[in-house]
Amino acid sequence: MSVLFSMFIYIIQIILPFMGILIIGCCFKSLFSNLSFKHPLIALINKTTGEKIPIVYWENSIGRDKHCDIVVNSPTASRDHAVLYRRDEGWFISDTNSKGGVFLNGSPISSDEKVYINDIIQIGGINYELRKSDVFNDEPEKNSLKNSYNKFYAGGSILAMVSMFQALCTVQMCFAGSSFDYRPITIFAFLFGISWISFIVSKYIIRRSNFELETLGIFLSGIGIMNAVGADIKSTYTQIICLGIGIIFFEIILAFIKDPDMAMKFRPYIAVVAVLLLAVNLVFGKVKNGSQNWVMLGPFSFQPSELVKVAFVFFGSSTLKGIQTTKNLTLFILFSAACMGALFLMGDFGTACIFFVTFILIAFMRSGSIRTVVLTCAAAVIGAGFILKFKPYIVTRFSAWRHVWEHINDTGYQQTRVLTYSASGGLLGLGIGKGALKYVFAAPSDLVFGMLCEEWGVIMGVLIILSIAVLGIYARSASIRSRSAFYSIASCCGAGMLVFQMMLNVFGVVDILPLTGVTLPFISLGGSSLISVWGILAFIKASDERTYAIKR
Amino acid sequence: MKNTRYRSIIIYIVVCFFFAGIGFFLFEFITNSRQWAFSPVNRHLSEGNMSGGKILDTNNIILAQTLDGKRIYNEKEDIRKAMLHTVGDGSVLIPTSVQSRYNSELFGYNPVIGFGAPHVFDINQNIKLTLDSEVCAKVSKSFKDKKGAALAYNYLTGEVLCMVSLPTYDVNNRPNLDENIKDKYEGMYINRAISSSFTPGSIFKIFTTAAALDLIPDVEKRTFECKKVKIIDGEKVTCMSSHGKINLKDAMSKSCDIVFSDIAIELGKEKMKSKMEEYGLNAPEYFDGMQVISSSYDANGASKAELGWSGIGQSKDKVSPFYMLKVMGAIANKGIHVEPFIVKSVFTDSSGEYLNNSKNLSKRMFRETTAESLKEIMRYTMKNQYKDSMFGGIQMCAKTGTAEVGEDKLPHGWMVGFSYDKTFPVAFSVVVENGDFGIKSAGPIAADMIKELHSAFKTGKYEKK
Repeated sequence: MSVLFSMFIYIIQIILPFMGILIIGCCFKSLFSNLSFKHPLIALINKTTGEKIPIVYWENSIGRDKHCDIVVNSPTASRDHAVLYRRDEGWFISDTNSKGGVFLNGSPISSDEKVYINDIIQIGGINYELRKSDVFNDEPEKNSLKNSYNKFYAGGSILAMVSMFQALCTVQMCFAGSSFDYRPITIFAFLFGISWISFIVSKYIIRRSNFELETLGIFLSGIGIMNAVGADIKSTYTQIICLGIGIIFFEIILAFIKDPDMAMKFRPYIAVVAVLLLAVNLVFGKVKNGSQNWVMLGPFSFQPSELVKVAFVFFGSSTLKGIQTTKNLTLFILFSAACMGALFLMGDFGTACIFFVTFILIAFMRSGSIRTVVLTCAAAVIGAGFILKFKPYIVTRFSAWRHVWEHINDTGYQQTRVLTYSASGGLLGLGIGKGALKYVFAAPSDLVFGMLCEEWGVIMGVLIILSIAVLGIYARSASIRSRSAFYSIASCCGAGMLVFQMMLNVFGVVDILPLTGVTLPFISLGGSSLISVWGILAFIKASDERTYAIKR
Repeated sequence: MKNTRYRSIIIYIVVCFFFAGIGFFLFEFITNSRQWAFSPVNRHLSEGNMSGGKILDTNNIILAQTLDGKRIYNEKEDIRKAMLHTVGDGSVLIPTSVQSRYNSELFGYNPVIGFGAPHVFDINQNIKLTLDSEVCAKVSKSFKDKKGAALAYNYLTGEVLCMVSLPTYDVNNRPNLDENIKDKYEGMYINRAISSSFTPGSIFKIFTTAAALDLIPDVEKRTFECKKVKIIDGEKVTCMSSHGKINLKDAMSKSCDIVFSDIAIELGKEKMKSKMEEYGLNAPEYFDGMQVISSSYDANGASKAELGWSGIGQSKDKVSPFYMLKVMGAIANKGIHVEPFIVKSVFTDSSGEYLNNSKNLSKRMFRETTAESLKEIMRYTMKNQYKDSMFGGIQMCAKTGTAEVGEDKLPHGWMVGFSYDKTFPVAFSVVVENGDFGIKSAGPIAADMIKELHSAFKTGKYEKK
């Protein structure tokens, strides 16, 4: 290879992390913009006092409790009296097991009733009139500038950058070996096809107003796929197919939960299917790499526990009406116990941990009780203590933790390799396909963070995991203005699950936490995992108020 | 929804844990990446596809270089074996070697680019050593498969001229350690010259003499008495023979144990300890910027007889060949030792040499008068006991030692010394593990080394550069 050419390849290598920063920066800039829009949707007028109450959320709790969105100062109102919520068809009012009942235009309501402008809602003896938000007399915010800004990104320019990034990676990969390799070009072609088809479908057929979250997902999944090319090109083809399935799964879930009330009705079935999946796994499961979490279906193998993650978040989420009417978490606790128990039996402690943390997130989001969280954690510590007492061999699996250099050829094998090769890559990396970590067992799945650091550079590795963490922050910001508490909970808890899973993976391989062998969301080689991550991403997408907006 | 909004802050806790973790990782990366990159499991290094700078000896003989992506070592097996512990073998099993320690210079590693820069940007630097690989090869052969170490340096400049450690192996043919040869290659990755310490035996009498010269007035004029065996508080101190009435100079040359045992007991534990520590025992030892094994003196809790034994280099005394080299340099150089160094210069192919390591760091070890007296006593010992013919007529000062190591093993043999002639400013230190009497085991090796170096000096080999 000529000197100039190898310099050219190295310049690409240095450009890549900066392009990555730009792409991720643009995605989040666009995602975070417009989130703090505070204009009230409608107004309620207290007929007794004349007070104008702005309604800013899509779902609003009404009651005597001071934490309610609309506080009713009447001794006859229940703590959580009713929920006023908006759906595509309009506004509805629902009585959430109140003592005094809700009256709409003078008559008591039994089920959810549609409310129109100028209707009178009576709660605890106080009459409220529903009015348009123009009673506040202030100008609607000028969004024209921001909208055009959004359109600029939504128009595919970030995706174009992603494709350019992938093209540059492909050039690198083709020349990684001693001779030219054409195969990365096929990978690129597939990635390009999937990216732009999903963009066109989303923009022109489903008519979504933005595509940044999908762009981010495609960007990260693409890195995972290209990262595995050098190690195992055959499985990258499977991975690309799974990316396609993942994006379809993403759209299916978005469509499925479009109506949160409908989704609520499906929750029990989802839970049953999830438990059955785990049962099938326990009975027919194959042991691979120490845990029995694989099911073979002819030539295909998949991990049911990955799909159960999506079901878990789905089952844990609830609309505000659901939260108000079912105060206890018994069913959810039973379901969680079944899932975690099954995972323990399979020997998949990492995934069990992920479920546990997600359980805490959901339990807190739904109950708001710190006591529940503390008690659950205490129970878990005691439980873990018992498990370690009766099955002490589990401890030996984690014996190398913080002592990996004393176990370079046994329990610290993977961690020492990850550290050695991450350092070999330095901040800028060796170049895609030029690493040596890929020869270590399970490198493109469990040890993928090490591969990223070695071949793409530590900057890129950190950037990628940072983007997953920022995804968590975004999920929280978007959930504030969600169309339903269902989306808020699913989004926050799903994102929390991804961030925690990422931490277990990354900090496990670099010996900050014990090594558990879970996958790195988006990046690790593994079809079930990728599909499941896209499923979770759908919850985050749903929490953004703009997702279900009809494009003008 | 207000509730959901506040409760969702819980996700920030998860994210905070993440930031704490990633911060910790980056901190560890910054502080440890060099060690991680050069860990013995790194295939980038062991499979030799790294480009790397050359390692040259003082006469510009190439000891290691990278050609077509392969690390190639000197073509002569003798030289490869003799230089193994200095140069390293690329697997980073010898962490004290130049290849391990100068990885940034040789392989262009740094935490920013890792090993990633393409060959065009190679900023591999070459390293020129102060060692003479040909002398090293001959000295290494003189060991005849015995274990041990030999060192020689220029006591005026600090340049280490010879450093070998045995057992060694050929980089191109690393032995597979099965049971049959395990013993033969025991500790083959250790550079015994700097990383091992041994019981000194009679060479320790140099320190006892120094303490006596410092603390006992007119000790050189005193007469001691040796009756072969002395009972002290019911414990025995024994000598090789009955020397009768004897002065300090003769006690040294005849290596009388009783005399030095008496001196140690006379000085007492406290004074012995403080003097030994003044001479650098029990202190951390550094060579070329790395910490190496320190030498130790410990008479804590010793009985009188044990204190006596500690004065003649038995008991708990331990010295390293490297430390003894410095001591020899100090005595030769009026009590001041010049810090030995091994890297002469670091340079790139295009630019000239830019790092000259001959900083001539020096430090006083002995009083000048003490050093001068010791020098004369050691010269006297050489002349009368070992004879100048041993070094082919070269005027040397020396002392041998035979360190009993107990059990049924042969004693360690030592010989340390330096040239009396300032135009040949060389000090040396040789130890042979379980080699029998110092004069029999270490003596011939020292003689070979000094004769080689002397002829190199006299023919001006080191002056052309």
